[in-house]
Amino acid sequence: MAAIAGVSITTPKIFASASVRSPKPSPIKLSLLNSPWKSCTTHLRMYVRPVAAAPDKLSDKVEESIKNAQEACSEDPVSGECVAAWDEVEELSAAASHAKDKNKDSDPLENYCKDNPETDECRTYDN
Amino acid sequence: MAASSLSTQTHFNPTPPKTHLGLFNQNQVVLYGKTTTTTCRRRFISCSAEDKTVVIGLAADSGCGKSTFMRRLTSVFGGAAEPPKGGNPDSNTLISEMTTVICLDDYHSLDRTGRKEKGVTALDPRANDFDLMYHQVKAIKEGIPVDKPIYNHVSGLLDPPELIKPPKILVIEGLHPMYDARVRELLDFSIYLDISNEVKFAWKIQRDMAERGHSLESIKASIDARKSDFDAYIDPQKQYADAVIQVLPTQLIPDDNEGNVLRVRLIMKEGVKYFDPVYLFDEGSTISWIPCGRKLTCSYPGIKFTYCPDTYYGHEVSVLEMDGQFDRLDELIYVESHLSNISTKFYGEVTQQMLKHADFPGSNNGTGLFQTIIGLKIRDLYEQITRTKTAAPLEATKA
Repeated sequence: MAAIAGVSITTPKIFASASVRSPKPSPIKLSLLNSPWKSCTTHLRMYVRPVAAAPDKLSDKVEESIKNAQEACSEDPVSGECVAAWDEVEELSAAASHAKDKNKDSDPLENYCKDNPETDECRTYDN
Repeated sequence: MAASSLSTQTHFNPTPPKTHLGLFNQNQVVLYGKTTTTTCRRRFISCSAEDKTVVIGLAADSGCGKSTFMRRLTSVFGGAAEPPKGGNPDSNTLISEMTTVICLDDYHSLDRTGRKEKGVTALDPRANDFDLMYHQVKAIKEGIPVDKPIYNHVSGLLDPPELIKPPKILVIEGLHPMYDARVRELLDFSIYLDISNEVKFAWKIQRDMAERGHSLESIKASIDARKSDFDAYIDPQKQYADAVIQVLPTQLIPDDNEGNVLRVRLIMKEGVKYFDPVYLFDEGSTISWIPCGRKLTCSYPGIKFTYCPDTYYGHEVSVLEMDGQFDRLDELIYVESHLSNISTKFYGEVTQQMLKHADFPGSNNGTGLFQTIIGLKIRDLYEQITRTKTAAPLEATKA
């Protein structure tokens, strides 16, 4: 009971509650506090992986491409450049929407536990 | 006799044993060849029943629900499909235990700048390398891993290739899976998502209006600019598809322009190997069915089903149509219990699959229902193909 509350007489165990919506670094801190004998390096190494493009960059690209398309088509509405420019807009809009969906689904704790189910925070007791 | 049975056996394993990680079961067949001398020579012939991958093709324009369909399809086979771990984070490939989904955008021959210079869209065949597509899909089908290029949608460049190991089921999704005749021959089953212009416009508005810079005019201009290439290169593929999911505005609400309620038609080609079309009540007849009545209460605008035989681009087809929306679980299970040939393994499987992904778009109308049913039909097709492959070597050994 006391452990769940986050304050315990013996070892302080911090449980990630569902309401915790913090950026990526939090799972590192949690596991370090719970198992201080584990070295930082392994956890940090786990987390330094290439990150897909952030949606903000994509949103800027979408906006830019719309402006380019409107310029290209103001000169000649049926040219190849105009059509290719609007196709680019479509491609970037699709990519932005996919990136948004991907980010919407990702929960930092769930992502960490998917890769490391044996760690303390991720153990489940079903039986 | 030994010689003749040997020759039939070698047909199943023409290539030397593959040196990469073999994922298929090897059935070792030992044949004793009797020669004129007293010694018996043993011949080892290995037959891999799952040597050949089943290939499914899915064609649809951008923003038409390919990703949702893929997620439903891979879910039918079990497990979630995810991008390859440790690889390029912008990879378009999805891998699950039984399936691998390849996005055909990876076979673009021109990257974004290249297309801009030449003034071609991604829909144009000149922007795609069909030779590479054909050779790689053929290789995967025969069980040989390939290094497939990656088209990065964010940067618009062609990234270094990634290794694709032959899965049990390969799904190729994109704009041109059925464009090239050679690739078409490799497909065991093909699907085309045909979204009507009004519905496409409504979906793109929903998708893009939240984006900075987009307005109603820009969305409309984008659709119109791509329309001529789409009609010339993408749309004709629907005549080759074994199943077409056509999405139209509803007929239940007069003058509806919100596009929330959809009329979805599942057009299934007759005579496709391993594929029996879904039907209502009586195969080959014309049925019009409104399930809402005494046993089932539906809210406005209700649900209407139609089933009839028809012709589509010169082929005999069966058309199952659903107009309306599901509001409650019991409507869905009631409808499922009246459909035939849906290839479920237990009563309520379609409903269970729909509920599992209740947050996906289209989960309350015909798009989700027919996509789920097609997923189950593909599973049935896969099981039939693998069953015939395991049966054939057994037949040869008996001879």
